[in-house]
Amino acid sequence: MSENAVSLTSPRALRTGLSRVAAGRAATYALVIGLLVLPFLLQGSWLYTLGICFANSIGVLAVSVLVRYGGEVSIGHGFFAAVGAYSVAILEHRLGISLLVSLPVALVLGVLLGICFAWPSRNLSGIYLAVSTMALALALPEVINNAGEWTGGFQGLYVSRPVIPGIDMSLQRYFVALVLLIVVAYGLDRLRHSRQGLTLLLARSHPAAADAFGTRRVWARVSVMGISCGIAALSGVALGFSSSTVSPSGFTLWSSIFLLVGSVVSFYGLSLPRALIGGAFLTLVPQFLSGSGAWIPVLYGLALLIVILAGHFAPKIAAMLRRHPEGL
Amino acid sequence: MHAQTSALTGRGISLSFGGIKVLRGLDVEFRAGEITGLIGPNGAGKTSLFNCLTGAYNPQGGTITYAGHPLNGLPPAARAKLGILRSFQTVALCPDLTVLENVMVGVARNYHAGWLNAFLPLSRGNREYAEMQSAAERALAELGLRDTAHLLPGQLPPGMLRLVEIARAIVGRPSVLLLDEPAAGLNNAETRDLTRTLRAIASPDLVMVVVEHDMDLVMSICNRIYVLNFGELVACGTPDEIRQNPDVVRIYLGSDDD
Repeated sequence: MSENAVSLTSPRALRTGLSRVAAGRAATYALVIGLLVLPFLLQGSWLYTLGICFANSIGVLAVSVLVRYGGEVSIGHGFFAAVGAYSVAILEHRLGISLLVSLPVALVLGVLLGICFAWPSRNLSGIYLAVSTMALALALPEVINNAGEWTGGFQGLYVSRPVIPGIDMSLQRYFVALVLLIVVAYGLDRLRHSRQGLTLLLARSHPAAADAFGTRRVWARVSVMGISCGIAALSGVALGFSSSTVSPSGFTLWSSIFLLVGSVVSFYGLSLPRALIGGAFLTLVPQFLSGSGAWIPVLYGLALLIVILAGHFAPKIAAMLRRHPEGL
Repeated sequence: MHAQTSALTGRGISLSFGGIKVLRGLDVEFRAGEITGLIGPNGAGKTSLFNCLTGAYNPQGGTITYAGHPLNGLPPAARAKLGILRSFQTVALCPDLTVLENVMVGVARNYHAGWLNAFLPLSRGNREYAEMQSAAERALAELGLRDTAHLLPGQLPPGMLRLVEIARAIVGRPSVLLLDEPAAGLNNAETRDLTRTLRAIASPDLVMVVVEHDMDLVMSICNRIYVLNFGELVACGTPDEIRQNPDVVRIYLGSDDD
């Protein structure tokens, strides 16, 4: 084919693309450094809020993974977050086990339960799968309340054992959630550039083609659900540790719906900055609006609309400005 | 002898959807070392036969074997692992993956690094990914697409997307290569290049079957041609035999009198 070999990429365009990628990476590194330094500049209540924000960001990533790699939506991921949170709380409460041990247990439980849910629902998609995940979220509070001997019932359980004894707990609550978020975002960046990531993406967009190249669609569905639910369990771990309490009120149907909202606000992004946008929308916006009384739901809805519209139109406006630099 | 044992064979393949008979007891044999053409009017059952051979459809009757091993009941992924690969009539590339990454998927079945390698910077995963990249780059270079490696499919014209699909199919060194209308959307120059490329891809161990409407392409590259019409085999032979077959001329190629 050498005679008609095509060249659609100019060296300049390639350089521009590569420099954008490099700039994105540099911005992420700068963000990580900023977040690592932040606790030494802020007061206690902000550390607490940011810890929750990081935990929610991990939950947002869990939903976004399902959307990006599976093409499906969940409104029941609060269930898997609860699995992670209660794993940590129960293991600490019953056996005095530290987060360092309970975290991998929570991760494995999240993945296994995700697979257990994915297998029977492997042929469901779209609204049917979403509604079946909702069933999990609806049933969860009752399950927790009825297993009160283990879960502490309505009042829940405290998570107070430090990861590293002797270090200020407010710092630990901040850094555990942050480190987990960074690790999850890094892992997902690796997944995108792995054999499994490539095949999962093809299975999402063209299941028949993936099948024809050796990737069974059932394997793809179950794998994505396992990954997503494992990450949701990690978000529960971070949420339980950072908030120091685990109770049914933290894992209602609304919690699951808000994780989906965070994912939509972040435009299903799997990078650290995108996840933080989603997590911040779930955590910081309600806090900023807390003085608005009865107007909170209206203002929250308005903020949601503004973010979605801005995210939708900003790239188009930017592209238009690039085409007409002298002005519109 | 070798070519005979590596043949992809179908005996009495029958396929129906509801009351509509799509394939009616087809007997076909696609031999290694040959390029076999599969032609016929729209609706003749060419793509349905491909789907039966790759496991996308389960025929209600007949047997399919490759190198003597029965394939009936094997899912598409298992057949892919045997090296039975295909391109699609409608381009089936992932829009979120670059051209290079799409082609890498074609060789993914040959690697087995576990899930930890997908999330952590472990040496085995890194090595396998680099090998997949190199193989995909070679396949793209073979088809003259080296410079498109980092573009997304949405940035390429339709004809070139077909070449990317072929690159994805050949990168995994298939034992059976089924190409569904590879020249659709290509201009004359690209079709000439494709002709050369398909000849270059052909090897003594490879069973290659081409469904195509471009008769010049089919007649110039194929050793044997099967002609289908309404799910039945009308003729089988060399390009010269097919050209002179009055049934084929009547139903498909058009006669001089028309």
